[in-house]
Amino acid sequence: MSAPLELYCWKGEWGLPSVDSDCLTVLAYAKFAGAPLKVHKIANPWRSPTGSLPALKTSEDGSLSQPHKIIIHLRKQKYNADYDLSAKEGADTLAFISLLEEKLLPALIYAFWVDSKNYVEVTRRWYAENIPFPLNFYLPTRMHSNALDRLRLVRGDSGLEPGDEAEKELYRDAYECMTLLSQRLGTQKFFFGDFPSSLDAYVFGQLAPLLKVKLPNCKLQQHLKSLDNLCHYCSNILDLYFQNEASDGPARKAPTPRDDGSDFDNEPHKRRNQFLSVLVALGAMVGYAFLTGIVSIQRSNPHNALHGRRAPQLAGDEVDDEDGE
Amino acid sequence: MPNCLFLCATLVHYAGPSYSNYTFHLFHSAAEPWPENAALYQPLKDDQILLSDHASSLAVQAYLRMCNLPVQVVCRANAEYMSPSGKVPFIHVGNQVVSELGPIVQFIKAKGHSLSDGLDEVQKAEMKAYMELVNNMLLTAELYIQWCDENTAKEITRPRFSSPYTWPLNHVLAYQKQWEVRRKMKAIGWAGKTLDQVYEDVSQCCQALSQRLGTQPYFFNKQPTELDALVFGHLFTILTTQLTSDELGEKVKNYSNLLSFCRRIEQNYFEDHDKDSITSSTSRLSKGSFLM
Repeated sequence: MSAPLELYCWKGEWGLPSVDSDCLTVLAYAKFAGAPLKVHKIANPWRSPTGSLPALKTSEDGSLSQPHKIIIHLRKQKYNADYDLSAKEGADTLAFISLLEEKLLPALIYAFWVDSKNYVEVTRRWYAENIPFPLNFYLPTRMHSNALDRLRLVRGDSGLEPGDEAEKELYRDAYECMTLLSQRLGTQKFFFGDFPSSLDAYVFGQLAPLLKVKLPNCKLQQHLKSLDNLCHYCSNILDLYFQNEASDGPARKAPTPRDDGSDFDNEPHKRRNQFLSVLVALGAMVGYAFLTGIVSIQRSNPHNALHGRRAPQLAGDEVDDEDGE
Repeated sequence: MPNCLFLCATLVHYAGPSYSNYTFHLFHSAAEPWPENAALYQPLKDDQILLSDHASSLAVQAYLRMCNLPVQVVCRANAEYMSPSGKVPFIHVGNQVVSELGPIVQFIKAKGHSLSDGLDEVQKAEMKAYMELVNNMLLTAELYIQWCDENTAKEITRPRFSSPYTWPLNHVLAYQKQWEVRRKMKAIGWAGKTLDQVYEDVSQCCQALSQRLGTQPYFFNKQPTELDALVFGHLFTILTTQLTSDELGEKVKNYSNLLSFCRRIEQNYFEDHDKDSITSSTSRLSKGSFLM
């Protein structure tokens, strides 16, 4: 086979292999189809080959960025998780993916990016802490305005203030969508029997963040938790296919309450920055003192020096050392 | 007492539509029967209406006929601006105004008419999913072809959209709408697609619909539902509208069960009425009968 494909995606948190829905979808599909991917978990979208995440770097076709295109490429490389599906199941896959995109995705975008409490306390904080300096000042706000724009365009310019009717409508559609998914899943292990397919990847990608991320203000989360079969379904996929990432979750959570606010990784940088800033301040003060003549060092003649050192003269200060001369 | 109700209903009506107002309406309007003077508003049939709007309007008309509810189709140049959500078509029933197929179906259900009551939960889930498939792929593809393909936009869409207005308003409105649609395409990720990719998506969507329909007369066997109305509206419009190229129609014609499906609904629900109701709207556009 050709060189392994490289996938760049957002890194994970809270027990998930990645925090972004699209990245989760691609990762899940790759596991389901058995595609050998070299996964780079990064937190800087500008380092990916296409400028956005997820991104698949292929040897012949350049780089692809939308999950839909990535899955089609993997299928072309004979990693096809939908191989066993009948024609009708294939049609159902398309239909349910459209249902997810139209009904559930807008509500998720709202819950993570527009609802002010969630955005400030969870989403923006995570991105600001994990994206490297100086992008962490710029990117979260840009992603926020992209999300707002997308919602506004898709909903037809209705008002998007949190707590008003648009929110109720969005959430109502999302509840209905989740209930429908739950009814369609029933008691099966995956949507089409015992083996996962691309529809499972999409559903997992959308539902897993909602299930795992600790949002302070989330009725969507409560509704999802009330649908037991969907919760078991997500945990099942996480346990079966992502168990090494899942074990990272508790380990990462441990330092955060201890440090409350500053990340463990940033500690050495913080000390170094403090030290550097003190040094720079001292250097600036001393340099200013010399330049304006407050402090001057006079070169003394060698034979005078034998009699003792002359203390630096401070303007406006009587120095008693001159008596020592 | 009835005066209070009427006053409340009118005040709520002018406050603008939303689901909360809507459920208030339902509570009070459930008892009222379907009036004789119900009207459906759409843009002007011959000159102004576009492919996507005509598809949506036809879907609603088909649904109302399937429920046996009489409605009068009224054409207005400013229908889009009259609509509470900005989308056509909308129906004016009694003193309520409801737009778009989804809310209209809910509204009619509150009045006691429903086509999907006989379905079980799994089937209802599938029906909703397939309706979203049509909205997500077919409708978006129609919008893309109309507004983002420069050829079609220049020759057909912009002239038709701005036909009721005088210079310079016609240019301003047409370009404004085009800009808005292109922004939406960019937001949902369709801006990077080529026309061929869009045709491919339409083909995939038709394949999915064709596989779901199989050899049955309607999507859920014996009785039509809102899904049938929606699919009919879009497919019939695509088949009978002439654009700069025939490729869109050709994609649909590849599936013979979809063609016979459209024919069946046309015969059962539209033929008893005068044929003008749907064919005149497409007569200026269609290149002869689509049955050929």
